[in-house]
Amino acid sequence: MRRALLALAYFLASGVALAFLVLPIVAIFVHVSPGRLIDQLSNPVVRDALVVSLKTTLIAQVLVLGFGTPTAYLLASRRFPGRSLCVTLVELPLVLPPAVAGIGLLVAFGRFGLLGGALRSVGITLPFTQAAVTIAVAFVSSPLYVRQAIAAFEAVDPNLVAASRTLGAGPARTFFRVVLPLARGGLGAGEALAFARGLGEFGATIMFAGSLQGVTQTLPLAIYAQFEVNLDVTLAISALLVLISLALLISLKLASLWPWQPSEQTSRSRFGSLSWS
Amino acid sequence: MHIARSRNNARRLILPVALAALAVSLLTAAAASAGANEHASGRVSGITVYAAASLTDVFPQIDSGPKYSFGASSTLAAQITLGAPADVFASANTTLPDQLHAKGLVQKPVVFTRNRLVLVVPTSNPASIHSLYDLTKPGIKLVIAAAAVPVGTYTLQVLKQMGLTSVLSNVVSRESDVRSVLSKVALGEADAGFVYSTDARTVPGKVTVLKVPAWAQPKVTYEMAVVSSSSHKTAAQQYINEVMSKAGQKKMLAAGFLAIPKK
Repeated sequence: MRRALLALAYFLASGVALAFLVLPIVAIFVHVSPGRLIDQLSNPVVRDALVVSLKTTLIAQVLVLGFGTPTAYLLASRRFPGRSLCVTLVELPLVLPPAVAGIGLLVAFGRFGLLGGALRSVGITLPFTQAAVTIAVAFVSSPLYVRQAIAAFEAVDPNLVAASRTLGAGPARTFFRVVLPLARGGLGAGEALAFARGLGEFGATIMFAGSLQGVTQTLPLAIYAQFEVNLDVTLAISALLVLISLALLISLKLASLWPWQPSEQTSRSRFGSLSWS
Repeated sequence: MHIARSRNNARRLILPVALAALAVSLLTAAAASAGANEHASGRVSGITVYAAASLTDVFPQIDSGPKYSFGASSTLAAQITLGAPADVFASANTTLPDQLHAKGLVQKPVVFTRNRLVLVVPTSNPASIHSLYDLTKPGIKLVIAAAAVPVGTYTLQVLKQMGLTSVLSNVVSRESDVRSVLSKVALGEADAGFVYSTDARTVPGKVTVLKVPAWAQPKVTYEMAVVSSSSHKTAAQQYINEVMSKAGQKKMLAAGFLAIPKK
């Protein structure tokens, strides 16, 4: 009797959790017919936001890869005092509220921010520009990549690196011909996560870059701005973002790059005694 | 060996526990000081008031009893349309409450105050703007509210009235509510922004106010109404009466709002 009750609670809890996570996504598609969704996608607001989002996210990801990869390799391959502090600082934006990131960027890179004077002396003002959107996206999305990249580099067998060096390859050649190919999977997964997070960035962007159609208004900002103007447009953009995220997730899983594969074997053998079927 | 390990484990726990304790104590301290601000002038309680962002400071002064949700009137109206649990809706225009009333979502709205649109520039005035006509200078960073937000609509009216629609090319951001416009100017990131005169007073010393000429001044009229789906209609009506009362209106005037027009 008690066992049956427990089993019931077990399945009920899982069912509730699944429904809770899926329902909002389903609701987006139920609320507006597919035809109207597609109609709304030709709306200039949506088109402009898509262009701004893709442009800023892609540039941000180039920066994340370019600066994040050496940083991750350094943190993964060297042991030095303060290393774990560095890793923690790199991960901090991951848990930081985006609005905090936005105000931080403003008081660092804004006109009257810490670096504002220096930037102005070379003729650069960042707030309200596409560069500001890119910076906000890079700031919030880079930890996802760097974290994953550190793990991927750490997983590379040091014996292979040593072998490459003893066979006469220099550190650069070893990195590009041995380490990078071996870490490829983890790097790809981290980058895809960072891309997805960047595409969804909202809080830091609206505070640091403002919102102007065709300039700084990204897809999430357009969702917010259109909420009170045209609910259909809001839903269309949301549906578009759901589809992009879903496509990204599925392609990652197909490429077996997703870091958290729930393996059927492990779950059976480890929790076999918990299955009531 | 065993003891040494458990002691080691205990030591390993000290830092995380201390940090967690620090985080919790910071949160409770913040919550406690926030609670201390709620002085006891609460008369109507148990209701939720959805009010325009420009009323952020004055409404809790009139009555600290209700729960408040401040934001762009247009956002609040959209939320009420989607069934948000509001009891009172106070808007920075008459259009939105009238629209909601026509749809049966709120009861008959009443005019409860008026306001004035002004241009604010940072005290340092980096773009040296001394009149609205200076907004035409190329390269100025002008921040306005989105067109759907009441203050955004008023801004467009003023610019049209003054023949200044060309300054729209200097707009660098269309913000989601009046207070976001204000903070971008107060921080000095924007060169100028259109807000209500009452908003400008909340950041003394940070912004300079430039008046909109009387002939171009739009009619900024605020309306409020009881939300039809409210289950606390009596308390909601009581709150509206409180705002309309002599004491309530006195507080509105003290905050810089204008008296209700006589009929």
